[in-house]
Amino acid sequence: MKEAVRIQQEDFSQDEEVAALKGSSKRMGGIGTFLGCARDFSEGREVEQISFEAYGSMALSEMRKLRADAIEKFALLDARIVHRIGTVQGGDNIVFIAAGAEHRVAALEACRWIIDELKQRVPIWKKEVTPQGDAWVVPHP
Amino acid sequence: MINVLFFGPVADRIGGNRLQAEFRAGMRLQDLRDELVRQYPQAFEIVSMMAVNGEHVRNLSLPLADDSEVAFMAKFSGG
Repeated sequence: MKEAVRIQQEDFSQDEEVAALKGSSKRMGGIGTFLGCARDFSEGREVEQISFEAYGSMALSEMRKLRADAIEKFALLDARIVHRIGTVQGGDNIVFIAAGAEHRVAALEACRWIIDELKQRVPIWKKEVTPQGDAWVVPHP
Repeated sequence: MINVLFFGPVADRIGGNRLQAEFRAGMRLQDLRDELVRQYPQAFEIVSMMAVNGEHVRNLSLPLADDSEVAFMAKFSGG
């Protein structure tokens, strides 16, 4: 089985991730998921590609801590986080988060919390490639 | 030696992903940062996060050990 927390170039399967999550416990009554995708338009410009760069070892370690923190904070039964790096096109998948709990509220709230924390804690940067040139993205609050 | 890492927008401004700084006994993170700010002022305009040996650090008075890995990073934009 694939690791619950991964950074990879290749696309991921949401079905496989959800199946792996469900496989970890039959007590799971709710699964919340978040899928982050590449937009082909940003800040008034067309975006041809987005490239991601990570401080790989730290990013993976921070994502593992994030999963453990979420499991503890929301009493989750399990959680999975997958983030792509390298170059993606508009519409491609970037990040997938799945949180499984006994009930829906914890699953949904954990999912929201994980993506918000990931943006603050995990050393990954994105650069948009546009017809006007390349630009590193300045994060939104 | 101290291994200094740069990524993304900071690496672009530095013109490279890594450099080595000489380790001195009693050296603190602030000393290394001051040294690099003098050499790369433009890059450090956007540095807002630091890590030592892969762990987030906010305390500039942290003593550095020889062979430490230090990263000076711009705000993250993953996800």
